[in-house]
Amino acid sequence: MSSHALDGKAKASHQELPPEFQDQEESIKITGFWLFIVTDVLIFASLFATYAVLVNRVAAGPTPAQVFQLNTALIETLILLTSSFTIGIAIWAMRQNRQRMVSWWLALTVLLGMAFVSIELVEFAGDVAVGWGWHTSAFLSSFFLLVAAHGTHVTMGIIWAVALLFQLRRRGLTTVTRRKLYTFSLYWHFLDIMWVFIFTVVYLGGRLI
Amino acid sequence: MHGGDEQHETAMEPGFEFIRPRFEAPKFPMHQVWGYVASLVLTFGALWMTVNRIMNPSVLLGVVLAMAVAQAALQLGVFMHVRESRGPAWHLVPLGMAFAIGIGLVGMSVWIMMFKSGVS
Repeated sequence: MSSHALDGKAKASHQELPPEFQDQEESIKITGFWLFIVTDVLIFASLFATYAVLVNRVAAGPTPAQVFQLNTALIETLILLTSSFTIGIAIWAMRQNRQRMVSWWLALTVLLGMAFVSIELVEFAGDVAVGWGWHTSAFLSSFFLLVAAHGTHVTMGIIWAVALLFQLRRRGLTTVTRRKLYTFSLYWHFLDIMWVFIFTVVYLGGRLI
Repeated sequence: MHGGDEQHETAMEPGFEFIRPRFEAPKFPMHQVWGYVASLVLTFGALWMTVNRIMNPSVLLGVVLAMAVAQAALQLGVFMHVRESRGPAWHLVPLGMAFAIGIGLVGMSVWIMMFKSGVS
């Protein structure tokens, strides 16, 4: 099954592939996950477009400069960038067949993800507490929609990663758990890219417009 | 370099070189370390330029957006191993299209709303 090559010419190089790509079925799932990311790019693009169009529609509510605290956004960015690095190291360790190391770096990624979501929730709660909810203005509606869509993705990722930690403990580094770790890392890095754009467009942009 | 790669190269049709798969398995994750450092430099650079308003705000917005695109490319290349694939890396094609459509969606929405129509 795993030695079955797509075409004869490429057979020789398939033997050097990592297990998650050597197995044809698992490698198809990785391609499928890339296609999921493609659809998610389009979802975020439409949310960014909505935000860009509505950012000046503040009605009687606050302006972007009043709402956003760059310090908080910077801490969130640093946490997410670091977690992107830690999951990158986990995948590197996976390729080195170091299961314990994979678990530790994945656990660290989960903790950083939790810290990110907690800070975001505190930020949202603070905004709502002073009366800046999603119903205040079109600007705040689009802001909460965009940033909470990202935060929900991160929350899903945390649940996924915790499940992976258990699977890794029970099953070890199999072809299947490797593929799951690999697709999780794609998901996590993708969320980091989306956050970099949120930080730039929403938080830095809020200071520039 | 060695036999396997050469054979693979010949399997690629001309003009499709960009989807030829690549794999790396270094003994130390140097790429990841540099990718992390570079992303921190880009983040703090963009933040510093914004806080100090080193140029015209609308130009600066373009500059920090370009830095965000650089960071996205960094994540894709360094961390997401975007060229790893069993066969030709066909996922690069829909991914490129999604980014193109996404940029078009945001750019054209902003552009059309700049006209002083009834809504604007």
